[in-house]
Amino acid sequence: MSLVVYVVVTFGAACLAIALRARRRWALGIGLMGLAAAVVAALAIDPAQTLVIAGSGLATSAYLRLFLVLASLVGLGLTVAGRAAGTRRDAPAVTLTILGSAALTMALVDPRLAVLAATTGGLFGVLITLTPGDGRAGATVGILETRAVVVAGALAIAATAWLGRDLSQLDAQPVVFGLAYLAFALAVAMRFGAIPFHLWAARLTDVVPETALPVLTAIAPASLAVVALAWIGTSVAPLAVGLTPERYVVLVIAVSTIVLAAVAAFVQDDLEHVLGYSIVGDAGVIVLALAVVGPGALAPGRTWILVFIVARGAFAVWTAGIRAGFFTGRVADLRGWARRSPILALAFVLGAVASVGFPGLASFDARASLADMAVVSPLSTVLEIVMLVPLIYYGRLLVIGLSTPDRVGEPVMSWRPRVARPDVAAVGHWLRRTWDENRAFTTAFLAAMLAVLALATAAGAFGGPVAAAESVPTVAIPDEFGRSIPSSALPPAGSPSPSPSAVPIP
Amino acid sequence: MNPAFAGVALAIIVGAVVAGSARNARSAILGLVVLMVAAPLMADPPAAPLGLAARLVAAVLAGYLLWVATRGHGARTGGTLIGWPTEAFLATAAAIVGYASHGLGAPGVGPALAAAAGFALAALAILPVLNGRDILRIGMGLMLLLTGALLVRTSLGGTPDELEDILTAGLVATLGGAVAILAIAARSDGRPGFELSATTPHRSSHGADAHPIEPR
Repeated sequence: MSLVVYVVVTFGAACLAIALRARRRWALGIGLMGLAAAVVAALAIDPAQTLVIAGSGLATSAYLRLFLVLASLVGLGLTVAGRAAGTRRDAPAVTLTILGSAALTMALVDPRLAVLAATTGGLFGVLITLTPGDGRAGATVGILETRAVVVAGALAIAATAWLGRDLSQLDAQPVVFGLAYLAFALAVAMRFGAIPFHLWAARLTDVVPETALPVLTAIAPASLAVVALAWIGTSVAPLAVGLTPERYVVLVIAVSTIVLAAVAAFVQDDLEHVLGYSIVGDAGVIVLALAVVGPGALAPGRTWILVFIVARGAFAVWTAGIRAGFFTGRVADLRGWARRSPILALAFVLGAVASVGFPGLASFDARASLADMAVVSPLSTVLEIVMLVPLIYYGRLLVIGLSTPDRVGEPVMSWRPRVARPDVAAVGHWLRRTWDENRAFTTAFLAAMLAVLALATAAGAFGGPVAAAESVPTVAIPDEFGRSIPSSALPPAGSPSPSPSAVPIP
Repeated sequence: MNPAFAGVALAIIVGAVVAGSARNARSAILGLVVLMVAAPLMADPPAAPLGLAARLVAAVLAGYLLWVATRGHGARTGGTLIGWPTEAFLATAAAIVGYASHGLGAPGVGPALAAAAGFALAALAILPVLNGRDILRIGMGLMLLLTGALLVRTSLGGTPDELEDILTAGLVATLGGAVAILAIAARSDGRPGFELSATTPHRSSHGADAHPIEPR
């Protein structure tokens, strides 16, 4: 099965990189090669394969393939940018393990198993929280992250087990099953650091390099969110249980996350916190998708997730580009950054357009569609306008960038590529010097490339919206008599009739 | 009620009370290993040999990694602030609730005693997870919470299949490893305890690390 190759490549390279972590260059080289191989392996995934293994099943889909291709590209871009701007030695290995875990999470057809893989993947992130020189402070942040991951995992395990069985004979009011829905939705919100579960995510930005942050707070939880969307569409919605109170709770979390995270990003004084809160704010849209209990949320929710991981990755590399080019992450010190680095300015504008969007763009339409399904008109129109709130922090950064510089970061023209005359007698020395002199250009160029990728994804390129609209795959698992039966937890894909709870909240 | 299951449930709850209340770090780890080894046995029919073996190996491995992290003198954890008898009463009350509410709205496929043990572990995990002041105690609480959730899952859905047991084993071992790494990192400053840091590491970006020039 083509997915197995991807999993073996990611976990194999990660193990090798961790085993050789004492030799930094070896570990980094293996990590980079592993990520490049992961991109190739993701491209080689056959989108319609199934595998029955030890009583459960794995299935590939076009959406899984696209998610892994984009996430692997983002991971590779983040790692190279981290090499230029400064990162932790374990970052490539952690990126690889999280990509491998995400592949397993999304391929497992039984959500009870998928949440186990998603929780395990989240735990690998603690390696990046270990700060050199101040181990206790890093470990403190690490245990807070571990707490969020495990509490979310416990909620998801309980929720999927609650509904993952025969429910034909109820001995309680069906409304209690709303708690299972709420538990899984809260688990996803917790993994993203949505408000009010954001304190651990805020402290994470203090210790994790900017190029590793999207791996921990965007890519890793995004795979759990994909499972949650499918689970809600196929297991919760057909129950025909009124879930309005639970959906109110999820809706309040989503809207407060979208608004307050954008405000927090607006008032922050350093770019790493702006990046951290921007990830949290965009994740609020995913939580909004969970508030729509019905199969209709699957396509726009999954479309947004694709845009989310690429756009946040591009923004993280832009942040690294600023640091590499101007030697600071303080917003107040960045007057005139856009004038002094046109490539970073281009990356910023493209990334912002991909994130915020405009009517006709797949990402914008997906967000508007979620708002329409979540609440009735005219509240949905208000919600659509509210979701433009990230413009305030993008606007602030752009205004600062276009203003007259009051200080100069050296070298002033570092955004341009600089290549000295090659020295055939000392090629290694020439390569190292060229790399060092082009750190700012490298990160700026990568930021622009990822921003273009984000814009293309937001525009619906690569077949994103079509793949996102596909039904969730199932696997026929032979029973004890050798007869093929559909996977127990996920009913056969089709179009279940909308439940009463799928209507917008008045 | 199956007496063998009752014995296993009792071992799980006693192990959890020890893990949650002992101040000696290694005593707490011992209690944790007992409950993690016993938890996969709480399934009817028993788990497949490969899956069961993976769960047992993962439990021992997680315990071993934590054991390594607590080497040296002064390896103490916060322990309980309310005393072990209170913890035991809390666990008993939660176990009764779990047993009585087995199935949570629909017939449960697994043993009711798994629900009892799972609820007890979840109740014992609340204080360390929410109020723990050191890394090891929070880690212990997370192990209790995870094992409790897995027991509730068994009580609701029945015996996990092999792949689920293998994935669960990976999760348990990874959590043990993560907590052990964090515990070792916390002690890297030379202090013996696992207390949380009161300070937040500051990035260099918080300082004025650009190069000011004369105003234009």
